[in-house]
Amino acid sequence: MSLSSQAAEHPRLHQLSQTNQLKALMTIIRDKNTKRGDFVFYSDRVIRLLVEEGLNYLPVNDKEVITPMGVPFQGVSFQGRICGVSIMRAGESMEQGLRDVCTSVRIGKVLIQRDERTAQPKLYYSKLPKDISDRWVLLLDPMLATGGSAMKCIEVLIEAGVKEDRILFINLICAPEGVLKMLEKFPSLHIITAEIDESMDAQKFILPGLGDFGDRYFGTED
Amino acid sequence: MTATAHRSAKTTTSTLMLKSDGRPPWYTPDGKNLPVYMVGIAGGSASGKTSVARRIVESLDVPWVVIISMDSFYRQLTPKESRQAFENNHDFDHPTSFDFATALRVLQDLKQGKATHVPQYDFTTHSPSKETQHVYGASVVIFEGIFALYDPTILQMMDVKIFVDTDSDICLARRIKRDVAERARDPLGVLQQYDRFVKPAYDGFVRPTMNNADVIIPRGLDNQVAIDLMIQHIKRQLDERTATIMRPVLVDRYCSSAGLRDTLVTLPQTNQVRAMQTILCDCSTLRDDFVFYSDRLSRLIIECGLGQLRLDKKTIETPTGLPYQGYELSSVVTGVTVLRAGGVMEKALRSVARLANYGKILIVGDPKTHEPRLHYAKLPPSIMQHRVLLMDPTIVSGANAMMAVRICVDHGVHEESIVFLSLLATPQGVHAIQTAFPKVKIVVALLDPHIAKDDLLIRSGYGLFGDRYFGTEC
Repeated sequence: MSLSSQAAEHPRLHQLSQTNQLKALMTIIRDKNTKRGDFVFYSDRVIRLLVEEGLNYLPVNDKEVITPMGVPFQGVSFQGRICGVSIMRAGESMEQGLRDVCTSVRIGKVLIQRDERTAQPKLYYSKLPKDISDRWVLLLDPMLATGGSAMKCIEVLIEAGVKEDRILFINLICAPEGVLKMLEKFPSLHIITAEIDESMDAQKFILPGLGDFGDRYFGTED
Repeated sequence: MTATAHRSAKTTTSTLMLKSDGRPPWYTPDGKNLPVYMVGIAGGSASGKTSVARRIVESLDVPWVVIISMDSFYRQLTPKESRQAFENNHDFDHPTSFDFATALRVLQDLKQGKATHVPQYDFTTHSPSKETQHVYGASVVIFEGIFALYDPTILQMMDVKIFVDTDSDICLARRIKRDVAERARDPLGVLQQYDRFVKPAYDGFVRPTMNNADVIIPRGLDNQVAIDLMIQHIKRQLDERTATIMRPVLVDRYCSSAGLRDTLVTLPQTNQVRAMQTILCDCSTLRDDFVFYSDRLSRLIIECGLGQLRLDKKTIETPTGLPYQGYELSSVVTGVTVLRAGGVMEKALRSVARLANYGKILIVGDPKTHEPRLHYAKLPPSIMQHRVLLMDPTIVSGANAMMAVRICVDHGVHEESIVFLSLLATPQGVHAIQTAFPKVKIVVALLDPHIAKDDLLIRSGYGLFGDRYFGTEC
């Protein structure tokens, strides 16, 4: 079994429905000839779908309401108490998608970069909501390659008191190696993604991937 | 009509669409169009055909009526004929001057209730104009002109055929008066043309069509008694073919055991979808929340609806230099909203589809019967080649939805190219659409069987969606 299908079949890895419609969106954002306006627009569209899907893993309470026709309706209600945490800088591209569905949601930010001497990810900055330990956390970073920064970030969250099973890591594309490593290291973490790719190259770029998401989204390519 | 009169014919009637009120359903509960009522009015030049046509329209009190004039169908002249025309030397009163094939096509479209384009004739260049007039939605079509009762196929479509038989002395007198006063021509010239073209054409071709008429009205508009009798007759025939009351019929035909066809797609009932539906169904939800969650749910429905469209395979290269096998949407998407509430979903379509076209349909319930009435429809001209997302947040009896689908089909859209999107539908309403239009896909976020029986079947689980969204509750 290939690494990709192992990752895809992992019970704590949740892929968006692999419809042709989703593939059509991914085709646009993966295409190297796509202009930035389209890249941003269609990335935002996929991010919105990812956020909607991620929220489905939050618990709900049963709730009965009375409809305008006076008939009871058996529904559910949100439990609330969530926050977003974005890994700077690419993760910030996903914040608006979260705000669009959860207005006035609290959002923490973390800056993690690779330490050139040790080649290990290093925490440079973090600002998290004070009561984060009581909340569910949607961790935002568009690309999961080796998972180095995301794992570092989860350690930071756990130190801040967040329960591991309340972390949902949301990304657009992931490499199977990174997925399997992360799910093994954090046995109750859930990952929500749009597509799982084949592998990584020597520079740890996802293949076929879409290049550097942050550069393409924020327009800082060479 | 002679060449000069032809050229300066300011009084010539072209297509005239008259709307006085919303149009009630023009089709059966099975979605099939009823044949449109057609009146043919022929008679000599200046016999008063147009005046009779207008009098009939005024007296009928039918909401949407169109008067089509034979003048629209003058054919393209050859270069030689065109020269003759400019020299006042072409016989425009001869049957060969008309393009009967086009007239037939237009009238057939109208008879079947389809949208059509009526040619317009440019009298300054003696040629059909490039512009055509879009005509849709007539419940009664009046076709008037000297040869309105000439072509046998056109005759077969007519429900009533009238010949206005005004004395030729009076016609000629009117003609001289009109051409001299309004067209600055000398009486002698008028008489010459009358002798040369108008009179022979009338005697040879127009007058004989009197035999095709059901009714001959002597003295034209002056003959009040004959016109009144005619109007009584038409009214009686129209009453006989009025469409049945829709809503109760549609709802009563549903029996739950029948099951619904697989053209219905229900959004996966995830926690978020259920929680949003709970908020929308809750009578105590405040408007801020109602608006926010309608918008959020609309976006998911739109995404799901776009997912129903056919996609073509496409391979691209990513920035890493590797290929990716994907898909693309190669057809044009048009969103058609059923106003007022459908406009809510248009916003969601705009936020996901950058290059979509938008059409709008206004359907309002009759204040007494709550039967749907069409007030306005504006669709992109090339819509027949598009994939169409029809949007209305609720489907209750299905009556409005059926009218909206019918309008799209009348404009040439293929049934299988239509996806109807709704936040909440009743199974009764879905069944009604599926019975009439079995190939239309229906995408809904919630199927809820509750219909308020008390007030003519327009309220469902959300109450009245438009009122709650726009804050216009009573």
